[in-house]
Amino acid sequence: MNSAHNDELMDLTAAYALGALPPQDAAIVRDHLRTCAECRAEYDALRPAVDALAQSAQACRTGENGPHASDLIKARVMRTVRQEAAPGSTSRPRPMLWPAYVVAAASVVLAIGTAVANSILSSNLHQAQSQIALLSGELQVANRNAAVQRQMVADLMSKDAQRFAFSDGEVVRRGDRMYIAMHAMHPPPKGHVYQAWTEENGAKTMAPSVTFMPDRTGVAVISLPVNASAIQYVAVSVEPEGGSKQPTTKPEFVVKTG
Amino acid sequence: MDDASALMARVRKRDAAAFEEIYDAYHRLVYGVALRMLDDVSAAEDVTQAVFLKVWSSPEGFTSGNFGAWIGRVARNRALDIIRSRAARPTSELPEAMPAEDALEDVAFANLDAEKVRRALARLPAEQRDLIELGFFGGITHEELARRTSTPLGTVKTRIRSGLHRLRSELNGVVTI
Repeated sequence: MNSAHNDELMDLTAAYALGALPPQDAAIVRDHLRTCAECRAEYDALRPAVDALAQSAQACRTGENGPHASDLIKARVMRTVRQEAAPGSTSRPRPMLWPAYVVAAASVVLAIGTAVANSILSSNLHQAQSQIALLSGELQVANRNAAVQRQMVADLMSKDAQRFAFSDGEVVRRGDRMYIAMHAMHPPPKGHVYQAWTEENGAKTMAPSVTFMPDRTGVAVISLPVNASAIQYVAVSVEPEGGSKQPTTKPEFVVKTG
Repeated sequence: MDDASALMARVRKRDAAAFEEIYDAYHRLVYGVALRMLDDVSAAEDVTQAVFLKVWSSPEGFTSGNFGAWIGRVARNRALDIIRSRAARPTSELPEAMPAEDALEDVAFANLDAEKVRRALARLPAEQRDLIELGFFGGITHEELARRTSTPLGTVKTRIRSGLHRLRSELNGVVTI
C-alpha cells in the first residue's frame, strides 16, 4: 500500500468513524477494515473520540416543554417496563413521577382516613358509647373532606383534565372544577399571604378569590370556588393577610384558561 | 464489568429497578444527542422514549463494552432515522447509521462528562471542529459537508481525520480509556 493510497483510505476511515459516509462508501470501508490492520488501528484510535462527541450534547435535563416533561417521558417508559417486568423486580423508591402536589393531596386523604380509624380504635367501649354521636358527626365531616380530596386527586391526575402550565405549577380544569397546583413556592413576607384571582369570560377585571399559604415543602393545591368553564384568566399574587379586593403586587403568574 | 454492564445484565432478566437506574443515568445523553441533531424538543423526547423502550425490549443489543458509547450511537442512529424520514434527499446521500454492535474492539473514554468534551472540542481549530460537529450531529455525508462549507472534499476528509486525532489527544489529557 503506497503512502498516498494509505492516506486516502485513512481519511475515509476517519469519515467512516464519524458516521459521515454514504452507505456505498461505508460498505467499502467496512470491508476494508476487516483486512487492513493499519486502517483498523486508525479506526480504533478515532472511535473513542467520536463516541465522546455524543457526550458533549448531554443535556442538563430532559424536557423543555414544561416543568414535568422530563418526568412524563420517564413515566411513559416505566409504565411499559413495569408491566413487563419480572415479578418481584420493583423499582427503587423514587421521586415522584407524580407532581408533588398530587402526592400532597393524596397524603391528606390518607391522613384523614388514618386519624378517624385511630380515634375509633383507641376509644374504649364506654367512651365510644358516649362519643358515638360526636364521632359520627366528625366522621361525616371527615368523609365529606375525604371525598373532596379524592375528587381533587382524581381531577389532578385525570388524563382528560385540561392543564395550563406556568413556571412552577399548573392550573388544572376538569369539568366545572378548577385548581391551582403550585410547587417551589417561597413563603410570602411576614403578614402576607398568597391570593388567587379569577376573571370571568368577558369581564374586564379580576375578581378576588381564596387566600392560601404553601406548605413547608413549598407546595400548594387550591380548589377555586368558581364555575371553571366561565373563567378566562387565573392569577396569583402576594397580598396582605386577609386578602385584597384588587391585586396590590405584580402577579406571580397569569394564566389564560379560556 | 462496569456498573452499566452489570445493570444491563439485570435488565436482560427483566429487572425494572435496574432499568430505571440505566434510564436515570443515561436519559440526558440520549435526549441531548437527539435534541442537537433534530433541534426539536418533541422529536427529541420521542427519540428518548423510543431508545429506552428499545433498550428494555431488546437488551441483548448491548453485548459488552462501554454502555455510554453504545447508547450514544443508538440515539444518533435513531435521530438519523428521523432525519431520513424528513429528508427530500435520496437515501444514498444520507450517511449510513453508525455500527452500534461493532465487531471491532469496543474502547471508549471512561468518566467522561459533557463539560470535559466541550472544553476539548473548544481547543480544536474552528475549521476542524465545525466539520466534526456538523458531520456527527448534522446527519450529513462528507460530500454534503464539502458542499455546505465550500471546501474541497479531500480537505474535508483530512480535517475530519486531523480533528478527531486532535480531539482524542485533548481528551487523553483529562480522561482515561
